[in-house]
Amino acid sequence: MKNLVFCVFLIAIILGVLSSCADDQNFEQFDDLSVEPTVASSIFYFESDEATINFAGSGAFYSEVFTFEAFNEAFVSENVLDGVITYEVENTTTKELNITIDFLDADGNVLDSEFFAIQPAPAAILERQIAYGDTGRSLDILRNTTNIRVRGDNVGDATSTSSLSEPKIILRSSAEFRLKLR
Amino acid sequence: MKNVKLVLFVILMGMAVSHAQNKQLLYDFYEIPQSLILNPGVKTPYKWHTGIPVLSGFSFQVGTSGVTVNDLFAEDGIDFTTKFRDKVINSLSQNDDFGYSGQLEIFNAGFRSVKNPKDYYSFGAYGEGFASIFWPKDLAILAFEGNANNLNRRFDFNDLSTQGEAVSVLHFGINRKVNDKWTIGARAKIYSSVYEFKSTSNSGYFVTTQGEDNILRNTVVADVTMRTSGVEEILDIIDDDTGSTQADLAKLLLSRSLFGGNLGLGFDLGFTHKLNENSFLTASLLDLGFIYHTKDIKNYTLNGAASNEGIEIRLPEDLTNLSNDIWQDLVDDFERLIPFETNDESYISLRPIKLNVSYRYNFGQQRDKPENCDCGIKPVNRTENFDYKNALGAHLFVINRPRGPQAALTAFYQKRLGKVLALKTTYTADKYTLTNIGLGLNLQVGPINFYILGDNLLGYQNIPASNYASLQFGFNIISWNGN
Repeated sequence: MKNLVFCVFLIAIILGVLSSCADDQNFEQFDDLSVEPTVASSIFYFESDEATINFAGSGAFYSEVFTFEAFNEAFVSENVLDGVITYEVENTTTKELNITIDFLDADGNVLDSEFFAIQPAPAAILERQIAYGDTGRSLDILRNTTNIRVRGDNVGDATSTSSLSEPKIILRSSAEFRLKLR
Repeated sequence: MKNVKLVLFVILMGMAVSHAQNKQLLYDFYEIPQSLILNPGVKTPYKWHTGIPVLSGFSFQVGTSGVTVNDLFAEDGIDFTTKFRDKVINSLSQNDDFGYSGQLEIFNAGFRSVKNPKDYYSFGAYGEGFASIFWPKDLAILAFEGNANNLNRRFDFNDLSTQGEAVSVLHFGINRKVNDKWTIGARAKIYSSVYEFKSTSNSGYFVTTQGEDNILRNTVVADVTMRTSGVEEILDIIDDDTGSTQADLAKLLLSRSLFGGNLGLGFDLGFTHKLNENSFLTASLLDLGFIYHTKDIKNYTLNGAASNEGIEIRLPEDLTNLSNDIWQDLVDDFERLIPFETNDESYISLRPIKLNVSYRYNFGQQRDKPENCDCGIKPVNRTENFDYKNALGAHLFVINRPRGPQAALTAFYQKRLGKVLALKTTYTADKYTLTNIGLGLNLQVGPINFYILGDNLLGYQNIPASNYASLQFGFNIISWNGN
């Protein structure tokens, strides 16, 4: 009797195995996988103390072109979907200042330009966000940028000094890009 | 794209290593000579045995932890990216693992000593391989979401843990019935590694925080190592893609399998202890050993720390000394602080140690049971060892893994139907599944022995939805004691 029970149990298991089945699977769905992370990083930081601005006098106190190939690195330029560049400008000097950021291609052509007219202290921190992609400026600007020119102009006097501690003009920037990894 | 799909499929259908090593159906199923591989101190009721070459033992196991093929690829009309995010990115932890494993016995034989019949010698060779990867949760989230919306979150490099190998093993064991209560055994092994890759015990992180000067600050602290042996030459042959690629690859793998690879040494120990007339305690410790990797080594390291807030221009300091190539300087600094390097330093890899412990209680009317005559030590005879009609017991399996020991607990019931058929059914609980019911069958027709052992049978109701499945089978020729 016990053997019979065991055999029935065994047969039930074997039948269960033999009747194994598999739901329909569609591995083509993998083609639909979309991986689009948003990556963020600071871009560049510029600061100048008031003494340097005064020393240069009125007009340009700084103008320099330097290489910047973060945007046209193949990984970014080939995969970027859209992005936002954020600028923050903080002025604790007594000067009214202008700062211009130019995005240049390899031949020195200006692809894009950002101009900041900055009031003397006390002034609120100026924040500006520039969108690139479908709802903003062309992504080709970023893809082709290999150099950045930073220019600072003093449109105020060249003698006054702020009473604030360590008066400076500071420009901060960061970028957020959405990338299409697949 | 096909390769990507293949890799994903293999990963999802792969098996966790602990499953690969846990052979609860075969353990202490001593009608099957291969049980000696799992416990060199198991009862040996054979005069001699030999496996049928290549057909004596084959096992392959597949499974997943945390997600199944069906979870992702079922035709359910749900957007695949949504499923992937819900079932994988948001659900799996860094302790979930995937992989695959298989073992093929090349030959296996044993014989009882004529001079000292209490000793049984066994020897053979088998090849085995596995690959496993713990789910790199933090790195997967970083890749899927990015860092922009994860400020102050540390993406831990410790989540990166993967290893795999193929190895051939030549072994020789001795099994001795010390007295009526004790049977002990030991086995020596020579390993020949075909290839190995291993990246465990990594540390470090990537984090994005509010900058001190600029808006954001990205910080990387890394101590990451990937050791490989035997991989480069295989990749070179595949990359060359000549007309003789398959032949070259086969020649290389065969050469390494026949002890032309990186060599190692190991031991197995085990015993069976008779607690009383019907109760038995067994235990084994397997693969106490190492492989010394000296050939075809290529190790990759990423070690260092760096923080970055973008390009910086500070006046007046940079009025005169700022390089125009400031971007390249930034990249160079980063590579100097966190160099990605390779080396060919030899290394030792320890084998994954496995522990088996079982308790067994025999019951039911026993036929042909000899009297307990207290007449000294004799080799185990077939009727004495197959005295049980029924056996109940429990089995504990523990394996040493990169993230610490992992255990599986099994309850089993075993039944003999005459001298021809023995059956074993198991219920196993571990971190992967709580519904693992297995069934083993051992058939003895004259000297021919056939066994087949299947695991997680409930999973066969819908295989893609199963976390785990395994199958072992083989043929032997056995001459029993007393024959």
